Amino acid sequence: MSETLIECRGLQVGHGGRAILPPIDLEIGRGQLWVIMGRNGNGKTTLFRTLLGLLPAVGGRLTHAPGLSLAYVPQRAQLDPIYPALAREVVAMGLLRGRSFLRAGRGESRFIAEALERVGAAELSDRPFRELSEGQKQRVLLARTLLSRPQLALLDEPTSAMDEVAERQALSHLDWLRREHGTSVLIVSHHIGLMRELAERAVLLDASCGEVEVGAIAQVVGSRLFAHNYGPPAPLLAQAAATEARG
Amino acid sequence: MYDHPHAPSFDEFLAGWEMDLYRDPVYCGVFAGIVLGYLGVFVVLRRTVFLTAAVSQAAGLGVALAFFAQIHLAIEVPPMLGAALLALALSALLALPLQRMLISREALLAICYLLAWAAAVLVGSRIRQESHDISSILFGSAVLVSRSDLWTLLILGGVSLSAFLLLHRGMAFAIFDREAALVQQLPVRAIEFGAGVLTALCVAVATRALGVLPVFAFSVLPGVAALMLLERLRAVLLLAAAIGALSGGAGYLLAFFQDLPVGASQASVAAAFFVLAWMLRRLGR
Repeated sequence: MSETLIECRGLQVGHGGRAILPPIDLEIGRGQLWVIMGRNGNGKTTLFRTLLGLLPAVGGRLTHAPGLSLAYVPQRAQLDPIYPALAREVVAMGLLRGRSFLRAGRGESRFIAEALERVGAAELSDRPFRELSEGQKQRVLLARTLLSRPQLALLDEPTSAMDEVAERQALSHLDWLRREHGTSVLIVSHHIGLMRELAERAVLLDASCGEVEVGAIAQVVGSRLFAHNYGPPAPLLAQAAATEARG
Repeated sequence: MYDHPHAPSFDEFLAGWEMDLYRDPVYCGVFAGIVLGYLGVFVVLRRTVFLTAAVSQAAGLGVALAFFAQIHLAIEVPPMLGAALLALALSALLALPLQRMLISREALLAICYLLAWAAAVLVGSRIRQESHDISSILFGSAVLVSRSDLWTLLILGGVSLSAFLLLHRGMAFAIFDREAALVQQLPVRAIEFGAGVLTALCVAVATRALGVLPVFAFSVLPGVAALMLLERLRAVLLLAAAIGALSGGAGYLLAFFQDLPVGASQASVAAAFFVLAWMLRRLGR
């Protein structure tokens, strides 16, 4: 069994002491890729923020492995649209952890360039971040995640503004991070066909029905709750296969 | 430009400068412009522009209370200490978690601003200083700057700029993507609290020396102008400090030669830089 990074036992998430989902049990192991699914407003971001420690749990137990290093890519709308920084300066933020910001950042430029190159954004290095397209911004934030080399990376719809090719590349970078560095990845995504290819495990949330499905991706996609939210899985898989064939 | 019939000449200004009449207010305006222009970039980026206005009013109330204690209670409290204490109290109040009270930070700032303003006027009306304009006692005038006010601003401003330089990378990350910075275990709340306290103290001290209007102008306009023109935070900070310094110095000269109120002239020069930056931005597109 893989080393456990996050363990939830009867975890209840919500706001103001009120749970919005039933208790959740899950264990995120080293090197695993999880996808969190659910339609808009069904608690995906709330669960995400609770796992990150940004929101207090309403109930149950949430345990992080000692010294667990995390990285987080928020939804694109959460970033400051007027903040003045070059793309490489945003990537450099991935190197900051704890009080390391007090030290001067010498000798970082090579690592930053490598991270940008890996996500196919080397040409964006000296461009102002605030002037990039949304898809380019997401690639830069992905480079920041790669550079920080966390044990667990949590990404909230990190490819929502990318075209299909860029999205496939971005997810393959995350897969590389997982294979090369044993980084676990937890990703919120609506692209179920693509996720089914990459993710091993899934969490499906439905706050309106008060139900949660946790397990292997095939089990979750084949569940009654999935069919209730997205319709039967077959058309989705056929759509994914067609996309694959076109690609 | 309108030529004021009693406007002094440049020779008169130089003579006054030699006699040490104008140095302290000019130095104070320039240095306050540098410090507040620099810190103001973070104020603008953190969307806490109204904070400086509220802190200025709280500082004014602190000065009023210090005078009140001195006159009516025979307790000696330096006005600058009163200003600093009230500014710190406001910063501490704003650092409280407010989500459970269902009050937005913006609304709380407005409430603090109004309460401090009303209380300063009420307390001020009980201070008997007929020979002085009460508002310049409470909020400074930018004309009569004492040597001790200048030194306090120099020392506090120097400490604040040094601290901000030290915290620069952490603050930048915390402003750009606060939640990612928290996840990467940066001491975001400590950084924000420290920056807030230093900003509040600088605003309080500058308000006591120069007045509310130029302090609020220096804390907002240079930062906004620089953010429109440049694409890197370090360059933005330097340009904002330079605009603040020019506004403080040139504003004083404008007031001197055109016989205008100093604070309003300094604020107007800062506003002119903002308009210039806006035009340059438009031309650059």
